[in-house]
Amino acid sequence: MMDPSEINNFEDQWRKALKEASEAPPQSVWEGIEARLDQQDKGMILPLWWQSSKIWYAAASIAALLLVGGGIWYSNSGMKGNKVNTEIAAKQIAKESVSSENKFSEKASPEASVGADAGNQQLALQDNKPESSKPAGKPAIRRENQTLAFEKSAQSTSDALRNNALRSNGKGLVSAAKNSDSAAGSSGNTPAGDRDVALAKAEDPVTTPVETNVSRDAAASGGHVNNQVAAAIQSTMALALLPTTPYNDLDIHMQKRYVFFRPEVIKEEPVAPAKNTEYYAALSLMPASFNPNLTVKEAPVGFSGQSLSTRRAVSGTSEAGASYAVQTQGGMRISKHWSVEMGLSYLKGNSTYEGGGYVLNAFSNKSANVLENAYAGVAPGYAGMNGDKAADFLNNGALYIDVAKTVSNNYQYLQLPVQAGFTIYPEKKFNASILGGMMANFFLSNDLESASGEIITTKASDEIYRSMNWAATTGLRFNYRLSPRWNANLTGSYQKSVTSGFRSNQSLDSRPYLYGVSWGMRYSF
Amino acid sequence: MTFNEQELVQGCKQRNRIAQKKLYEVFGGKLFAICLRYTKNRADAEDVLQDAFIKIYENIDSFRNDSPLEYWLRSVVVNTALNHLRQQKHLKDLDDIDLHHNGIADKEVTLGDFQLKQLLEVIKELPTGCQTIFNLYAIEGYQHNEIAQKLGISEGTSKSQYARARGLLQQKLNKEKRFNDGSVRDKQL
Repeated sequence: MMDPSEINNFEDQWRKALKEASEAPPQSVWEGIEARLDQQDKGMILPLWWQSSKIWYAAASIAALLLVGGGIWYSNSGMKGNKVNTEIAAKQIAKESVSSENKFSEKASPEASVGADAGNQQLALQDNKPESSKPAGKPAIRRENQTLAFEKSAQSTSDALRNNALRSNGKGLVSAAKNSDSAAGSSGNTPAGDRDVALAKAEDPVTTPVETNVSRDAAASGGHVNNQVAAAIQSTMALALLPTTPYNDLDIHMQKRYVFFRPEVIKEEPVAPAKNTEYYAALSLMPASFNPNLTVKEAPVGFSGQSLSTRRAVSGTSEAGASYAVQTQGGMRISKHWSVEMGLSYLKGNSTYEGGGYVLNAFSNKSANVLENAYAGVAPGYAGMNGDKAADFLNNGALYIDVAKTVSNNYQYLQLPVQAGFTIYPEKKFNASILGGMMANFFLSNDLESASGEIITTKASDEIYRSMNWAATTGLRFNYRLSPRWNANLTGSYQKSVTSGFRSNQSLDSRPYLYGVSWGMRYSF
Repeated sequence: MTFNEQELVQGCKQRNRIAQKKLYEVFGGKLFAICLRYTKNRADAEDVLQDAFIKIYENIDSFRNDSPLEYWLRSVVVNTALNHLRQQKHLKDLDDIDLHHNGIADKEVTLGDFQLKQLLEVIKELPTGCQTIFNLYAIEGYQHNEIAQKLGISEGTSKSQYARARGLLQQKLNKEKRFNDGSVRDKQL
């Protein structure tokens, strides 16, 4: 309540009454906001997916599959229901027949003679099939048949029965004969379960025609069908003609279901201070300028043998060539500004080596340039192209050809950088990070063009180059946030080896360095 | 529950869903009351609130800590509400109104006698133009020239619409008061 004395003017009154007013919005508002935020997140990554016709085709196919599958399932479950009914009906009949069979076996034998009238029997058999059972019409028909059966029973004889059974071509009757054949061995003492099966078969319209033939054959060959068979036929026929229990009289089994559920407890989430930890993965491609910075420190053995250890002959320069690196990174932001990252890159470093002449073996006409010669000097098992190291060029009339050549000298490295980064304005869309760290360079191979123009490939296993050397790396990265998850970045890098690339520093030294600008995408988790 | 406004903003800037929800929980009620003042029904108010929060989350980067957060949030909601009204073309034909007085000056009523719900109801019943200008001038505290600029109308129109709103509100509140008093008397009897 306000104190009116404090409020003089109209606007003040209203402002005071409404400025701090608050009304709880319904839950649906937040749900709507959340849904839109989710959609936005997805939309940024997969723009305009709904415009892709493929999506719609896929959706249509799934819908069609579901429709067809659902239809089949539904119809199957419907058939199952029928089967269950059939089985219940059959069991019911069997139960009654088991109890009454012995009593009726003699009395009912004439009853079965109704089989003479095949049409009637079929009607009676079909009558027991649930498919044809119409609640209203069914009892009446059954009663008629029963009456008919009992009326005729007085006149029939067991001979007539056998004849009828043999002659009969009625579907139900013959299949019943088949069933009684199978039941004959146990002469009426068959367990109820077996009878169920037999009865179920008798009612199966699909199997009936086949069984008809079988039983007909059996019947034909069984002019000497014994009385037991006849009795069995009678009993089955009696089963067929016995009234079924109406559905209303069937036992109703109730099943109680207890469904336990726990209402969802809405948990108040504690206000977490803004999380700074964030993981990211990045992929980038870096065009670079790579220089192996290769120097020959002393005249290789082939050259010194020719007294060619002049500066001119053995000194040359490495020139950087167009190179590239494919880089992958995984990183973690550990505070607002700081992050650490690791990576795995493949570097193809191309360069040229210019300088010096080459020595030519006067006898074999084989030539080797200063690098090739130097390799031969430092490699324990290196055979060069002449097969016996530099021996070819020692005291064997080798000549020095003083023609400076530029040869290609290309490297392949696998790089494993570990860097720390400091980001300026991390919350802004456009921000920059300063990077610095170390990098392990794993030597993969070196292709050196020989004096004769062939390419000599050196592998790590040749033991000329160190399999791993260390480099320092630093860089400046510009980030642009495309969406909450995606960033595009541009990184300027400088890498410089701090250890020599060669195993032995005696005559050769290589401390590669690289300048590169990498273009990449980063995904934050 | 204690919270730090700055942390909340920082979290929202990083698109942290927990922070976003907390911001909604803290300010949703007040901002919804603003939406109710500018719209004619709850459904519209809910739409405006939803749109406003999406805008807030999208533009949180542009929020500077030099002004109070609530002030910034309110201005986003008011602008969203105005946009909503524009889209619904409610603010299309705002004209100068000749105020004709019926000679009987309505007695000033004290708002303390009314509940918030009643006040909001009375505001809702105003014609949309009057309702908007009343909200902007009386509650948000904009000047007529600012309102004119915001709505693309003349200052005179803003003033006359406001005067009309004021008159109508007095009338309605007097009516409400009479009804209130009557019902109190009935109860006493």
